[in-house]
Amino acid sequence: MQFFLQQCLIGLTNGALIALVALGYTMVYGIIGLINFAHGDLIMLGACLALSLVAALGLGLGDPGGMAAAGPVGTWLGIALLVGLCGLFCGGLNVAVDRIVYKPLRTAPKLAPLVSAIGVSFIFMNVGLFWLGPADRSFPELLPAANLLPGDGLQFTWKDLLVVLIVGPLMLALSLLVRGTRLGKAMRAVAQDPTAATLVGIDVDRVIAATFFIGGFLGGAASVIYGLYINTIGFQMGFQNGLYAFTAAVLGGIGSIPGAVVGGIVIGLVRALSSAYVGERWTGAIVFAILIVILVFRPEGLLGRRTKEKV
Amino acid sequence: MREFVRERWDLVALVVLAAAPLVLPALGGALGGQVTTLFIYCILALGLNVMVGYTGLVHLGIAAFFGIGAYMMAILTVPMYPFQLGWLAAAIVSVLVAAGIGLALGAPTLRLRGDYLAIVTLGFGEVVKVTLRNLEQITGGMKGLNPVPPPGAGVKIGPLDLGLAFAVDPRWFYYLALAALAGVVVAMRRLEHSRLGRAWVAVREDELAASAMGISATRVKLSAFAMSSAVAGLAGCLYAGSLSTTADPNAYDFSRSIMVLCAVILGGLGSIPGTLLGVAILVGFDTVLAPWADSWIQQWNVNPSGSSLLSFSGWRLAIFGLALVLVMRYRPEGLVPSRRLAAELHEAHP
Amino acid sequence: MAARIAAPFLFAALIVLAGCRPADPSLVKIVSSLPRTGSAKQQSDTIVGGIRMAIEEAGGQAGPFRVEYLDLDDSTAAAGQWTSEAEAANARRALQDPDVVAYIGTFNSGAAKVSMPILNLGDLLMVSPANTAVGLTKPGLGAPGEPGVYRPTGRLNYTRVVPADDLQGPLSADWARRRGVKKVYILDDNEVYGKGIADLFDERCREIGIEVLGHDSIDAKAQEFKSLMASVKAARPDLVYFGGTTQSKGGQLAKDMASAGIHAMLMVPDGCREQVFIDSAGAANLEGRCFVTFGGLPPEKLTGKGAEFVDRYRKKHGELPEAYAVYGYEAACVALEAIRNAGVKDRRAISDAALALKDFDGALGRWGFDDNGDTTMQTLTVSVVKGGKFEFEEILDASAVGEASPVR
Repeated sequence: MQFFLQQCLIGLTNGALIALVALGYTMVYGIIGLINFAHGDLIMLGACLALSLVAALGLGLGDPGGMAAAGPVGTWLGIALLVGLCGLFCGGLNVAVDRIVYKPLRTAPKLAPLVSAIGVSFIFMNVGLFWLGPADRSFPELLPAANLLPGDGLQFTWKDLLVVLIVGPLMLALSLLVRGTRLGKAMRAVAQDPTAATLVGIDVDRVIAATFFIGGFLGGAASVIYGLYINTIGFQMGFQNGLYAFTAAVLGGIGSIPGAVVGGIVIGLVRALSSAYVGERWTGAIVFAILIVILVFRPEGLLGRRTKEKV
Repeated sequence: MREFVRERWDLVALVVLAAAPLVLPALGGALGGQVTTLFIYCILALGLNVMVGYTGLVHLGIAAFFGIGAYMMAILTVPMYPFQLGWLAAAIVSVLVAAGIGLALGAPTLRLRGDYLAIVTLGFGEVVKVTLRNLEQITGGMKGLNPVPPPGAGVKIGPLDLGLAFAVDPRWFYYLALAALAGVVVAMRRLEHSRLGRAWVAVREDELAASAMGISATRVKLSAFAMSSAVAGLAGCLYAGSLSTTADPNAYDFSRSIMVLCAVILGGLGSIPGTLLGVAILVGFDTVLAPWADSWIQQWNVNPSGSSLLSFSGWRLAIFGLALVLVMRYRPEGLVPSRRLAAELHEAHP
Repeated sequence: MAARIAAPFLFAALIVLAGCRPADPSLVKIVSSLPRTGSAKQQSDTIVGGIRMAIEEAGGQAGPFRVEYLDLDDSTAAAGQWTSEAEAANARRALQDPDVVAYIGTFNSGAAKVSMPILNLGDLLMVSPANTAVGLTKPGLGAPGEPGVYRPTGRLNYTRVVPADDLQGPLSADWARRRGVKKVYILDDNEVYGKGIADLFDERCREIGIEVLGHDSIDAKAQEFKSLMASVKAARPDLVYFGGTTQSKGGQLAKDMASAGIHAMLMVPDGCREQVFIDSAGAANLEGRCFVTFGGLPPEKLTGKGAEFVDRYRKKHGELPEAYAVYGYEAACVALEAIRNAGVKDRRAISDAALALKDFDGALGRWGFDDNGDTTMQTLTVSVVKGGKFEFEEILDASAVGEASPVR
């Protein structure tokens, strides 16, 4: 029982991280119908920046004792700063890519931007290759590995807590933004019908840029969490990251924000449980087999039909 | 007139490629092997083109069928199994198996909307890769299955041992792959203008209207799925044969599917010369041009410290990515758009 | 349209350039095929450094021949590791160039499976500095048909200067038992090398009465192994064995093991014996509990010619070489010696000359090739990670294989 709970805990934490990345896919897809293949690699670049910033800010000096160098307050402030800076970087980069690469292709055949996105992902990977070098790099452990739960059985460390602490508020903020603000309303309008949105005076290009920025910002935050939680980054990390996150977005119903969250958590749980009960070696196959089965029975994804909210 | 020129262009290409090994000794070595691989990718891309180009279904897992063809070929021919079929028989069975698996995947999933179908094919590709890796008793795991005997092993024509000839001189395989490619091109051109080919395009353009005209959309899509898988399977057979091993399952992963998809779109959806050109540029760049450029850099000794900034392969991904972005920016319908598609596009966006 | 016209010209240019290379009777070439991009680069850099040093010290001469060296890459940037196609292309390229008489490689055993049958057709001497998979040379120990499938001509051309895994796997298990290990959890990376050695370790554990709690394979492309480590933790092993390399996520595994709160020992084979492994795992996570086996002596323990090599290497590059550098050096020395002994520019003669080396006085000591092309050297060592470095622990005696060693 304890073992099962432990695996669920791992699955949920991993799932939360996947969900954060999945949001970047689902938002862009919802608004311009593009599978943004470069999103995973955007996050890789965010992680590169995070690594460089950690060194520049001297945050990692206390390694391996964690918070020792900067003190607990300094460390948490540092992490918040990292999230903010990497978020801005990834958001800005995402908007720039949209302006330069995708915007001229708004009226092109549907698959043209897809290929461009793949191209952008290759370019990002090359930048990451020069930034990090070919080998995987260790991301400093800023947080102590101490268990927060009593006893030796269940393991839930500061790192796991960090994922929840950052992902939760971000999701909340996002849903408030989409539901409650003018921008959110405009985004939903553009997602439904760009032409009609233009007719009622919405600046469609600005709304699309905002969407790319928000998706990128979440990706930037995800990159910092990724570094702190997994502690290894490499120029090829974007691919695997993107694969699962994108799958999560589709599983939940692509274009749907709650769908992406649910999809991410389902994938996290399936991975953890299949590793525990079937064997690590089959994990990749099981995740995708379940995806196929779910899609056969629910062709619009888990939440695709039920919610009308699309961004 | 344009049709005529295009027709002749293909013939010229065929004659040049067929004559090349006779004049150029380099094709008897490493380069011959690389160009053979290129031909095989052309076949694979033509298979994908049936799905993506003609029928408009995005397929992100074509490499899985490539792998299924290669592994079936190996299972039917390697010494470890009792089948030991001849090359032709093994190739036919492998192609049929690939088509069958394509049908089995397509039947339950065809009602999915575009991008959901794409994800199902992607997922299928991953499932196949993991399965190939883990079913060690059958597939040899990461070791792969080898040795796949050369075509015509044991057949002797006069003094010539055909199997040995294939094993020693890559030019034999070069011609085999070239012949297969030519055959596939001819078949595709016929298909394109056949009743089925026109039905594919009709379904791509407007499924509802096509159904109203009495076309069974499901059957048409299924046939595209099967045809695509079969041609990919054929490419897989040739691949396993030319390497004399299935290589490891990572050779059939998502990045390969993506590479082929990019080649098809870059060249021009639904266009045979476009697809061939797309493969020649993308795959040729990666497997032929980049290694040569790297070894030249090394021989001229401009990069004694081995810095990746100065090596060609250090920039390979960026060049590749930039090419994709630029072509899509300036030729969104591909380098050699199919006439049918180009006409529609210009009508839609004058 | 321009691209359509340009493409065939480009091809033609390539083909012509490839075709016009003059043959020079006094020139021989040695090529190496190693993973030069991706995460194995640091290790292969030092192997190439070793090869270059060997050729430089010979004055670029071997007998009557001038020696040229070409460093080929069997990995691609896109894959980040070796690929079958790149390795096959390297092998074909070497075979096609009549000046090439020796092929130093490969690093990965899986890659050797691709190039061995190709090079065998041309009788081109292959000296591997790092392949340890058993099936490549030893009849009856690998898969059915091995090693015959790699020798289509039936003649031998493949040699290796590093001991194979049929020593390393079992000896590691024996060592574990001497250390008082009763229960192990075995993981591998599902690759030719890693799975091979983990299976041998597994087999030996069962023979000598160590309980195997589980044996699973990881996906070397996965990013984290937290769930897996929770399973390992629940099984409560004394030792976790990972058959794999740094490139197949050895470092991440150690990291996740530590963060799951597993205090068991970790044992890894020579594929992880490089500084990058410690860096990627985080030194603190390995401190005092990670044991690494290695076929041969670590650089700081080498004596005689080996110690001289390490000194010269350090003088030239300013750092201690990785463990495999000396094997690169030795492989090149073998190739040079074989060319010298053969005295003719003939691939068959050179391969035979290499296989005939029975009492070779090299950097690794005095050793020779047996009838399979395997080294007769049978020294294995265990190192432990201390203070972020590998520290020599003990020498394992190969003669102990086959008999259960007493529990200490």
